[in-house]
Amino acid sequence: MQPLANITLLKPAGAIEVRNVGQVFKTTTQDVVALEDVSLDVKPGRFVVLVGPSGCGKSTLLMMMAGLRQQTSGTITISGAPIPEPDPNRVGVVFQEASLFPWLTAEENVEFPLALRGITKSDRRARAQDALKLVGLDGFGKRHPHELSGGMKQRVSIARGLVQDPPVLLMDEPFAALDEQTRMTMGDELLRIWAATGKTVVFVTHSLTEAVYLADEVIVMSPRPGRIVDHLQVSLPRPRTYEMLSGDTFGSLRDRIWRHIRKSA
Amino acid sequence: MQSGPGVKAARVAILVALFAIWEILSRTGIVNPRLLPSASDTLMTLSDLLQRASVRKDLAVTATEVVTAFALAVPVGALIGFLIAENRYFADVAKPLLFFAFSIPKSIFLPMFILVFGVGFAQKVGFGFFSTIFIVIMSTTTAVESVKVEHLTVARSYGATPMQTAFRVYLPSMLPVLLEALRISMIFNLTGIILAEMYASRDGIGHQIATWGENFQMKQLLAGVVMIAAIAIAFNELVRWVETRCSHWRT
Repeated sequence: MQPLANITLLKPAGAIEVRNVGQVFKTTTQDVVALEDVSLDVKPGRFVVLVGPSGCGKSTLLMMMAGLRQQTSGTITISGAPIPEPDPNRVGVVFQEASLFPWLTAEENVEFPLALRGITKSDRRARAQDALKLVGLDGFGKRHPHELSGGMKQRVSIARGLVQDPPVLLMDEPFAALDEQTRMTMGDELLRIWAATGKTVVFVTHSLTEAVYLADEVIVMSPRPGRIVDHLQVSLPRPRTYEMLSGDTFGSLRDRIWRHIRKSA
Repeated sequence: MQSGPGVKAARVAILVALFAIWEILSRTGIVNPRLLPSASDTLMTLSDLLQRASVRKDLAVTATEVVTAFALAVPVGALIGFLIAENRYFADVAKPLLFFAFSIPKSIFLPMFILVFGVGFAQKVGFGFFSTIFIVIMSTTTAVESVKVEHLTVARSYGATPMQTAFRVYLPSMLPVLLEALRISMIFNLTGIILAEMYASRDGIGHQIATWGENFQMKQLLAGVVMIAAIAIAFNELVRWVETRCSHWRT
């Protein structure tokens, strides 16, 4: 814990720096370049969305930011320090729907990261309650995942990502398995939680609408090899509303991303 | 798997009916009572047999063999299964071979066990072990494969140590499959041991049953059948009860 405190004096907590990062997967037959020379700066408290077709390396990049995978070249720092392995005090990760442990209740799932650190039961329970309240699931703690809807399960996942109060939240296509209405509602919910907590969020998605609707900045990526082809600032005011989806600004941003993706598909 | 009172009553009714038919067939002489002693006679013989020191000794011998073979086959099989499942190369090489071994009826190897181990404790335990281990290996690989990669990634992303991953992710994920494996393994184990006893032995309840059969002691033979059946069912139901308690989350 101590070195982290010193580092945060130099770099604000929640800043992400990606410098000339490359990732090569070696297979028996050939080397596949998953990412090539990717550089990116995320300022603390920003909501950044990575978007692009399958194979563009957006999830790979996210996994490297989480310390779950190491880059072949280049450097990544979170809050000013490299991330050679997962560090739940700096980074919380939210995965797709199937990531909750089905044998644990909602609150036990949220407590899981704390239980690994040996935090006392009562302390754990209190912090899990706070996190569940934050995501709007007060009173659902005793339910098992199979008793929750898809949207509620993802709220639990977000609560689990936030329970240790890390400055950065990484989200890997968290709403991909949800139906359209739930997805829109969850987007609004996520923006509310983000505004309330001030976390840096990096969010991976396939959906162009979701990307523009949620983001401060959209990073467009393209495959073979995976690289960044565009970096858009979304100037739409906050809070975002459903009406903005049909506006000109929204449309032109969406078109610009689509043109990149069509080219690479 | 929830069953209402109606279903349960129907099950009891079928059991009672079976015993009633048995009783009637024997009492009315439709089936020669020397060939099929009545249910009540059989149950009486059973309670009489359970009082006998020699039968108790046979039961103890069989129980020791069963427990020993099981206690050896389960951990060894589980370890082999785990190593196979955790290594892609081993899994590719070994899995078809295991299926080959599993498909062979184990009983044809019994004469070899007698030649190697002689007639006695080692032969029974060895054959029980051999009858059981393949199903344990295969079930364990299935159990390991039932652990979701997503769950392992979650554990890793929250900094779980290998020990924490083993106890907090692997074990609970595998538990329902493992308990089912334990239950089915015991069926194989019991079959193996009893068969070994019936084929060549000096003691054990399987040996007794074979002897009663050869001597045309039908009451004792049927009582033995009922006894073994009851013991096997009791173990099976016990594990099944634990299973449902541990896997309520599997829907």
